[in-house]
Amino acid sequence: MKTVGKKVIMKSVGILLAGITAFAAVGCNGKTDATKKLIAIKEDEGKIVNVFGPMEKSKPNADNVARTAFDMTVSMAEEKLKLTVEYRTYTAENYQEKTYDDVVLDRVRNNMDDFYLLNPDSIKILGEEGKLLDLSDLECAKNIRDVVKAANTIDGKLVAIPQEIVAYGLFINKDMFDRYHLSLPNTPEEFLECCRVFKENGIETPVGANRWWLETFVFAQAYAEMYNGGNTQAEIEALNSGDSKYSDYMRPGFEFLQELIDKGYIDAKAAYTYEAIEGEGPDFLAQKTPIVMAYWGAANADTAYGKSDFNMQVIGFPSSLGQMPVVPITGYAISAEAEHLEDTREVLEVILSDEALKTYSEINKVIPATKNVEVDCIPALEPLNKKMEEGVYVLATNASMNVEQWGNICLIVRELLNGATVDECMAEFDRLQEESLAKDS
Amino acid sequence: MKKQEGHGKNRGFSLIFSIILVFCILGVVVFSVARRISAEMSLSAIHNLSESLGLIKGTTEAILVKEAEFQKLIAQEIAMVEEQENFIHSYNKNRTMVKISLIMAGETEGISNTGDVFSEEGLDFSSGKKVEELPISQSYLNQMGTWAYTMKCPVVKDNEEIATLYVEYIYDSFDDALPGSFYNGSAMLYIMDAKSERMVLKPKGMGERVAGHLNLQDFYRSNNILEEELQAEVAESIHSGKDIMFYHDIRGKDSLIYMWAVNEGAIYLIGYVPIEAIQQEGRAVNQNILAVVMVMLVAFLLCCILYYLNQRQQNRIRKEQEAEREVHNKQLAEALQAAQIASKSKTTFLSNMSHDIRTPMNAILGFTTLLAKDADNPVKVREYTKKITASGQHLLSLINDVLDVSKIESGKVVLTLGKFTLNNLVSSVDAIIRPMANAKEQVFDVSVTDIKHEYLVGDETRINQILINLLSNAVKYTQNGGNIWFRIIGQPQHSSQYEHIRIEVEDNGYGMTPDYLKTIFEAFTRAENSTTNKVQGTGLGMAITKNIVELMGGSIEVFSEVGKGSLFRVDLELRIPDEQTDREFWEKSGITRILAVDDDMENCRNIQTLMKNTGVTVDAVFSGEEAIRRIGDAFRAGQGYQMILLDWKMPDMDGIETAKWIRVMISDPLPILFLTAYEGEDMEDEMLRVANAGILAKPFFVSAFKEKILEMQSGQKGKRVMAEAPAGNSIEGLHLLVAEDNEINAEILEELLDVEGATCEIVENGRLAVERFEKAKEGEFDAILMDVQMPVMNGYEASRAIRALKRDEAGKIPIIAMTANAFAEDVKDALDAGMSVHIAKPIDMELLKKTLNQWIQGKG
Repeated sequence: MKTVGKKVIMKSVGILLAGITAFAAVGCNGKTDATKKLIAIKEDEGKIVNVFGPMEKSKPNADNVARTAFDMTVSMAEEKLKLTVEYRTYTAENYQEKTYDDVVLDRVRNNMDDFYLLNPDSIKILGEEGKLLDLSDLECAKNIRDVVKAANTIDGKLVAIPQEIVAYGLFINKDMFDRYHLSLPNTPEEFLECCRVFKENGIETPVGANRWWLETFVFAQAYAEMYNGGNTQAEIEALNSGDSKYSDYMRPGFEFLQELIDKGYIDAKAAYTYEAIEGEGPDFLAQKTPIVMAYWGAANADTAYGKSDFNMQVIGFPSSLGQMPVVPITGYAISAEAEHLEDTREVLEVILSDEALKTYSEINKVIPATKNVEVDCIPALEPLNKKMEEGVYVLATNASMNVEQWGNICLIVRELLNGATVDECMAEFDRLQEESLAKDS
Repeated sequence: MKKQEGHGKNRGFSLIFSIILVFCILGVVVFSVARRISAEMSLSAIHNLSESLGLIKGTTEAILVKEAEFQKLIAQEIAMVEEQENFIHSYNKNRTMVKISLIMAGETEGISNTGDVFSEEGLDFSSGKKVEELPISQSYLNQMGTWAYTMKCPVVKDNEEIATLYVEYIYDSFDDALPGSFYNGSAMLYIMDAKSERMVLKPKGMGERVAGHLNLQDFYRSNNILEEELQAEVAESIHSGKDIMFYHDIRGKDSLIYMWAVNEGAIYLIGYVPIEAIQQEGRAVNQNILAVVMVMLVAFLLCCILYYLNQRQQNRIRKEQEAEREVHNKQLAEALQAAQIASKSKTTFLSNMSHDIRTPMNAILGFTTLLAKDADNPVKVREYTKKITASGQHLLSLINDVLDVSKIESGKVVLTLGKFTLNNLVSSVDAIIRPMANAKEQVFDVSVTDIKHEYLVGDETRINQILINLLSNAVKYTQNGGNIWFRIIGQPQHSSQYEHIRIEVEDNGYGMTPDYLKTIFEAFTRAENSTTNKVQGTGLGMAITKNIVELMGGSIEVFSEVGKGSLFRVDLELRIPDEQTDREFWEKSGITRILAVDDDMENCRNIQTLMKNTGVTVDAVFSGEEAIRRIGDAFRAGQGYQMILLDWKMPDMDGIETAKWIRVMISDPLPILFLTAYEGEDMEDEMLRVANAGILAKPFFVSAFKEKILEMQSGQKGKRVMAEAPAGNSIEGLHLLVAEDNEINAEILEELLDVEGATCEIVENGRLAVERFEKAKEGEFDAILMDVQMPVMNGYEASRAIRALKRDEAGKIPIIAMTANAFAEDVKDALDAGMSVHIAKPIDMELLKKTLNQWIQGKG
């Protein structure tokens, strides 16, 4: 036994000495041959594709920085295509400065970058200007959901493809509804009734709102029947030709909002100044406000409503057809004269591929743009998800409409909050429609 | 001893403490060196960083200067052209100058190359910063959606300022001139507009999301630089266009934040670099130092381990040596003790011997004195000579034993292995012991059981010696009328090639005390008590016996109780000779089936066991009646027996009666052998009266049985196998040649032979014997008695010479060695030299007569 132990020790010592010798030998080997070139010149990294978006890129080797889902898909593209995607970004310092959308319009028009993340209104403007490349021949476009094609097709060209379908809904404190024996509202009337009960029971502001997302109520009431009635295209054509008026569609929603404001269910002054979630979020989480509106991802994000202490449910907005999700479609678009056009197309093929969108949607727990990937949603999102799966929703953006929707309605609702009457708001719609008609003519 | 241990422990602690101290000092030194290197490298790194920033600053300023100079050239060009508007419109933007505009002197609006109306509105030149005397605006977001600045340059013609040229530059153009990667991508660098504190350019390959890319406040917030004092100091420095560098923690990493003024603080290079990034070299050096120190420590530890192992081995060897020494000392002490005991034993023995030798010697000398005195009285002479003979024989046995012991103890005993039969062994022992036992009216019972092989290989003489020793002791130490049992028992074989036999000698004699039992096998010891003192002995017999047994690879043990008797048990394993069975003999004899009749079942079984390999079927019955019935049945069935072994003494119907009935029943004179352990003329006669019958002594042996069969077949009947005593040993009329150098011995021999009626011719040495035999007439000498140790030619040489003679008699004449060299090897040497037989001196006339008769008759 002792002999065996001694042998093991001697062996270990031998191995250790050999290791040290090898280590030293490797160290000696590090000496550079003076006759050779002193510095190895690193060759140029090679291909670059520029993207303009609202966010900075997180470096793969950045310490303790969780890479976003988008960065992950970009990383997939970089790895696969052996190129670098350079991020360029802009954030407005204040309301007086140019908005991201303003800058993006300038940059696309001046061909500053290769591809962009565009908001719905930018997609419409730039698409109509012919500044965006038709993406319909991309391989990934074949798998994209119809809702995207419906929203982002301009003059028969699919000009932008998003990674996710962003659905907006009402975030409900179900515990508070249960406390006052209220069922979840389906119609505007039921919604008003719920607000009344809450108000009477001392809830000062039953609906928490911000300056951006109140328009979702308007969309739901305005277009519920149009998008779910089977005559969508004809109705849009009627609007584009001036046979129908946008103000007619919009009025019920605005009157509804007006009633909410008048009855004190919404604090209009506060809403006018509130940024999204930052303003109304704390009261909702503190269970002072039973109802807010937000996008799908807010239910998953810890920085939004992902960590509530109560039973939260996300439902559609009230409409004549019941609960109605509202879906604005954003998207990635390639500049028609992009410097690195082919490489950029390849990058989009990767970041919008089923594989990439699966990764993206699993990380963000959102609805992927491709119809080939299904992602389980959290229980709170089940009601909204159910409607989406049934194909019941309202588009908040539609490039085929001559009047841009998402940006304009937001601004007009803001005017309502600022004290404008419903009629004044409707007049603004009429003006916009007339402008577009005049433009067309 | 305890004090020493305590001292050892203290020394161990001191050593450990010293080692730890050395390590601590080494650690402190290494740490301080590492710190110093780190600090120096850090300073050097900061210096390098400053130089790098200076370089970037220089590059940026150079670009601005070149831009300004180029703008001046354009202004001069414009001054020279007639159509300034066309000139402006004809300009196409490039990557640096994206827009040029001209406002004529005295006007507030002008034209741009984009075709738009241009005014200075929206451009802020209030900072008063200039490049090459050209005012530079505050940064702004231009129509391309990127950060830009404008420089304005007067267009002077004939010393008169006719217009102002505005050129818009974008910061993106700096990107190519700035490093693609700063400190391997771990450093951050922005270009910040000093007045608006907006970040206007982030060069490629830099920056992370949370770094704060909006403005200085965003930079502070993102990097947690919240100290108001610090911010105020920075603001002051920026305001006065100074460079700033300070340490701050950036997301958990100690970093160096820098703000480097470009163009007298119009714009700033701003960013940070983690300390670990700029101290990479220092860290590498420290790591290498650490690695070297670690290797040294490992080497040191290895040395310690090796030293420790070596010490441990040394200690072990020392302890082993000490232990060995202790064992040696112990052995020496034991040896000394044994030597002392042996010495004491030998002293005692010598004392005993002195007594024992003197006693018969005294008798011999006394009787010879008396013999001389009473020479005329034949009755007394005969009595004295008888006593002298007895004393002489005792003295001789004493000398033989002493010599045997000395021989065994010196390791000179060699076993003479040969084939022998247990039958002969038992017979010879019986022949010696039975008369002794009979003399003391003791019952001597011999039994052999379970022996499978009767022929064995071993030293028959020595086995004989063992048995005689044990049995003679039994006879000696058993009172008159006592019982002695001699048993040979077959034991289960350990190997098919060896017969395992157990010899038991039991008596119901005096027995031995437990103390004596412990030393019974040691030489020079003897049971001492009032009873046994009467018995003469050397006290060497048992030692000799034990040594011989052990020499044969066997074991001996003894059980005894005073007054009840003793049991000696010897276990031996003797090789079985290759040819054990002789089936042919039985086939030739026509014996295939025999019947054994004995009331003792054990005896029947013995016969069956011994006959197992002969091919002869042995049926056994246990009474005369049964035997008669069995024989009748067999006879009628036509499967008759060829031989009946019939125990003489059986209850109810004894052997003789049974034999008679057999003879009556069957007309065929079936051979019958009576088995008996008793002697008696009457009984023999009665048995031999039975036709075709013989006597076979118990115990049953195949060899004896075979001899008896041969005897019966050749017509010789009625002789006892076991007690085969010579009919007569007369040597009268023989003429012998005697070679003997000792005159007295020669004379005695001559006289003794003369008494027996034989004559002899004496020669003094071997040579003479050879010569005398050579010259002798045919048949002149009946035998030669040859001494061994003789001058000129010894007995062996002489025997060889005689055997080599070319005479008919040379090979046949019995040469009998008569020598005092009485050991087994002496016998062997004698036979090897061609002698016929060996007889030890002093001469036993009866033995000599017997031997002579045997050999001379054989010759005849």
